[in-house]
Amino acid sequence: MSAVRQLVRAPVAALEMANIMLTQNEATIGATPKDIVWTHRKTTLYRYRSSRRAHAIPVLLVFALINRPDIFDLRPSNSFVEFMLDEGFDVFLLDWGVPDDEDADMGLDSYVCDELAWGMRETLRAAGADELSLLGWCIGGTLCVLHAATEPASPVRNLVALTTPIDTTGSLYATWVGRDSFDVDRVADAYPAVPGSGVDWANKLMKPVTNYWTTYRRLWEGVSAGDARRDAYQAMAKWVADNPPFPSRAYREWITSMYKDNALVRGRMQLRGRRVDLAAIEQNLLVVTAGADHIAPREGTLPLLDAVGSEDVTHLDRPGGHIGLMAGSRARTEIWPDIARWLAERSDR
Amino acid sequence: MAETPSPSEQARNLYEGAETRTAQAVERIVGRESFGELLAVVTDNAVALTRMGNDALDLLLRNLRLAGRQDVTRLARQLARTEDKLERVLQEIEALRDELAAERAQAAKRNGAPRSGSRARTSRPS
Repeated sequence: MSAVRQLVRAPVAALEMANIMLTQNEATIGATPKDIVWTHRKTTLYRYRSSRRAHAIPVLLVFALINRPDIFDLRPSNSFVEFMLDEGFDVFLLDWGVPDDEDADMGLDSYVCDELAWGMRETLRAAGADELSLLGWCIGGTLCVLHAATEPASPVRNLVALTTPIDTTGSLYATWVGRDSFDVDRVADAYPAVPGSGVDWANKLMKPVTNYWTTYRRLWEGVSAGDARRDAYQAMAKWVADNPPFPSRAYREWITSMYKDNALVRGRMQLRGRRVDLAAIEQNLLVVTAGADHIAPREGTLPLLDAVGSEDVTHLDRPGGHIGLMAGSRARTEIWPDIARWLAERSDR
Repeated sequence: MAETPSPSEQARNLYEGAETRTAQAVERIVGRESFGELLAVVTDNAVALTRMGNDALDLLLRNLRLAGRQDVTRLARQLARTEDKLERVLQEIEALRDELAAERAQAAKRNGAPRSGSRARTSRPS
């Protein structure tokens, strides 16, 4: 486009860009029809409607505590849930909800030993199955790993860990919050529910220019050229801006055990008196890492491959970032089919 | 022969190169120990200010005989605890119901009468 034409179009483009940003909260995300199966406190278990369930083993999706799980079902035609339903899976989603001050007593053990375990129980009851596949992403992946490592009689047959933090040695987060001068107790004491916006701010600060400038510059270029992907931008922007609070006990335990003590990979973590032993994980395991992941760098996930006792271990490494790997425009062709194939081979009675 | 980029393309390439280098430089800065130290102090100050603000607001509301955030939280926590207990009771009932169904099925099998299996499960309202 010529410079003159760009200049003439600039006011219109500015208006259009403003409109895209101002109306982003109206974007529809998480639209695949689903039913509530079970609720407890803020946690809700959903089952997605499907008339083509072909696999005997249901899949339970578990996301992180710091964002909403709508990323699994971002928008029609770019939804992992929709893809898995088309592949014949019985898909459930465990949504942690939006905790508030009254949930300050929720610790990692509450999420792993109660909410996740109970959600799995209800999944099995609803599906009429004896086993399930657990697919966790980010902190959700770590919670699934914690479950498998503490529950020898777990009904999990297949465990999928997507961009999951395990060993935080040398990570940027460890540099920030693992240091002695970062007083996690002071933060957790002051906020019964640590504001999600604070956690989001820290996440964005890891790549400040990309997050605070390049994203908008690219949007501007797309709008100026008349080829901005409005739906895609708005859906992702809406999801990114929706940050639930982190219950203070869970926050304190997460920061202390993962970043200050790096206790999970050192075998020093305990949940309700039970040692978290990664070697006790015997499920079929699929570990997915992203080459450009700055939130859970692949080096921090790889130790899981050697630590577990599973005989069936698969590792998929793909280009992309922490979220882009699974929710980007190329995910449908580059990673979802591999995950579905891996699960399908292990999801029959 | 490769086509020579237009002046506007050249300017754009120059700009993008500069932006990439700036991004890398800033990422190196935020990755430093000293930045971590700075962040810790900033967080500490923000937490202290928030706490002071919250305490003052709560005191004001309490003196006005209005329910403050702490009072609402206390009530909500009671509800959450009750829900915890209810969930455990429901799980016990469901386990007993499954056990009973299994025993009935076994008894029916012994008596030779065909019955539906123990896997038939009842749902409960969410």
